[in-house]
Parts: sequence; structure tokens; C-alpha cells
Amino acid sequence: MTQSHNNLRLFEAPDGVLAGRAVDGDVRSFEVLVRRHGPLMRAYATRVLGATSESDDVVQEAFITAWDQLPTLKDLGAVKSWLMRITSHKAIDRIRARRDHAPLDDWDAEAPASDTPHHRVEAESQWDKISDVLGRLSETQRQCWLLREMGGYSYDDIAEELKIPPSTVRGHLARARRKLVEEMEEWR
Amino acid sequence: MTTSNTEAHDESEDIIADLGEYLDRGERPPQELLDRSPAHQLALESLLRFRAMAGGLLQADADAEPARDDSWVSRILTNIHIEARAGRSIPLTSPTPNAEFSITEGAVRGLIRAAGDSVPGALIGRCRLDGDVTVPGTPITVAVEAGVYWGEPIPAAAQRIREDIAGALRRHTELTLAAIDVTVTDVTLVRDGQEPDQ
Repeated sequence: MTQSHNNLRLFEAPDGVLAGRAVDGDVRSFEVLVRRHGPLMRAYATRVLGATSESDDVVQEAFITAWDQLPTLKDLGAVKSWLMRITSHKAIDRIRARRDHAPLDDWDAEAPASDTPHHRVEAESQWDKISDVLGRLSETQRQCWLLREMGGYSYDDIAEELKIPPSTVRGHLARARRKLVEEMEEWR
Repeated sequence: MTTSNTEAHDESEDIIADLGEYLDRGERPPQELLDRSPAHQLALESLLRFRAMAGGLLQADADAEPARDDSWVSRILTNIHIEARAGRSIPLTSPTPNAEFSITEGAVRGLIRAAGDSVPGALIGRCRLDGDVTVPGTPITVAVEAGVYWGEPIPAAAQRIREDIAGALRRHTELTLAAIDVTVTDVTLVRDGQEPDQ
């Protein structure tokens, strides 16, 4: 049957083709993009937010915005990095909302080790180990590091996103990196 | 934080901060700085390693997720604003004088995609209706992009795409077709969602 044949072909289509069809209103192509990139967007949201409960909402909001704004995307082949950036915005919106409801001291408090989602007593792999160290950074340190190293944001972009001065971003990044270097030493 | 002032003067943080900023600017740290201490070289290697790990970390996270049911996908698809893509309203002849019939441009694009996709080895990309579709009788040019896969001969496939789209539009719309331009844009198949050039 051609229908399943076409579905298979959609699943193998490049991002740019799917994005173009989605701009033209093809929901099935958009669905393939959702399935293809949703898990990575969720992983990113979970890393930035430090908790899984809100990640699904962030990914959903990101895709709803993406559908609306897709016609404005100039390079449709770059839809993946564009989706990651939207996810980043949505996650940071949540962080800002949290920060508005919490005293500043709490906001930059070190996360207690027992509360970190990726805490392991014994790190089994380099992923577990780096997750463990990231989980023990302060929220702002972790976010600066993630936006820089995973999102590719400049210092000014991070400052703009987190509404903190660029000099503070620089300090947080330096402390995040020092902690990683210190704690990851045995993985050299 | 009160500790930040003292920390900022800590020498090991300074070198990590300095090296990190070179990397963030896309520059290689000066050799002289690296030669000053073996610790500097080690710190640079660590920073480069974490950067490389950052990319793989998300994929590792995603891969480690247990399989989930499809509800997260359907929740997204039911919440997107599908009507935003309706486009122009294309009139159809009404059998009775009191009723007006029309089809949306979005629905016509759907017809075009379905017709083109049914050609073996073809997958339609973007499509566009050039001309004022809201005025009956206006000559309309259909411009479609198509990927042709699996070693299908491209001219033959383009011809079949053109014919099948023309047939579908004649059956389901009253558009006056001036031409159907098929541009073959992409012949690369991807696996696992990875773009071939990445």
C-alpha cells in the first residue's frame, strides 16, 4: 500500500524537505520532525531545568511555537538547531518564572547532592560522571555551561537570556569549568 | 555570593577561565601560556574534552530514555494551529445559486503532495500556486520541488509527477493550469534523522 510506503519515505526524508512540507501545512511531515528531534529537545530541557516534570511541557510549547514560526525560517535545512534554540528559550522562560517566585539566595544555591536527578553514588560511565558533576553545580553555573557548550550561545546571548550581566556569565562559566576540571580529573 | 571575590583571584580558576575564553572566542591559546606549566596543558585538554562530551551528552540522555507511548506526540499535534496554513480560498462552481463552495489553498497543496508522492521513488517538497487562485479562470502555474530517490530516472519521474498532479487537480479543482514546474531538488536519503552533510 502506498500510504505506508510514503510514511516510510517521510521518515527518511531530510529535515529541509520535511520543514518545507510543514510550512505548506503537512502535519505528517511535522510529526516526523517531532519524533526525530523531540527526544533531544526533551533531553536539553531536562538538563537546563534540572527536573523532568516540566520538560514535556517545554517541548510541547517549543513545537507549537515552531509550527507557527516555521514560515519565517530562512534556512529550512537548519531546522534542528532552530528547534534547539526555541527549546532553550522556552526552558529559560520557565527558569525566569521560577526565579521570580523564589528569593535570589535560593536561586543560586548549590543543589544538594541527594536532589540531583543524575546523582550516582558510583559513577559508571563518563556520562554518569559528568552528569553527576553538572548536577552539583549551582543552577546558574549549570545553565551558563549548558547554553555555552550545548547551545553554542555567546556570553552576551547568555547574559541576555538569563538577564544577568556578561561579567557574571564569565564568572559562572569559569567556576563551572573549574569544578568540571577538578572533579573529572580521573577521567583523563 | 561572598565567595566569588576570593575565588576570582584563585590562580587555578584564572587559568581555566583564561583558557575557556580563548576557546569561546574560537582561538587557540598562545603556546607560551601552555608551556608555562604542565597543568595548563592538562586544563586545556580537559576543557576540550568537556566541550566534545557536551554534544554527546544530550544524545546519551535521549538514548537512555525508556520507550514512551505516543501521547506526547499526539498532544503536540492536536495543539498546533493547523488552520494557520489554510492559505487562500479557491472558489468552486456551486450547483445552486444560493450556496458558495470553495477549497482552501492548503487542501490543494495537500492534493498536490499526495499525487506527487504516489509516483514511485518521489517525495514532494515545497509547492506553490502562482497566480490569483481566488478569481476563476486565472491561469495558474504550480511550482513543486521533488526529491527523487532509489535510482529512479529523473526525467521520467518528473514527467509522471507532472501528469499525476495535473490529473488530481483536474479531478478535484477547477483551476486553470498554465503549467506545472517540477524542480528536482534533493536526491539524498537520510537514515536516523541525520543530515548527510553533518
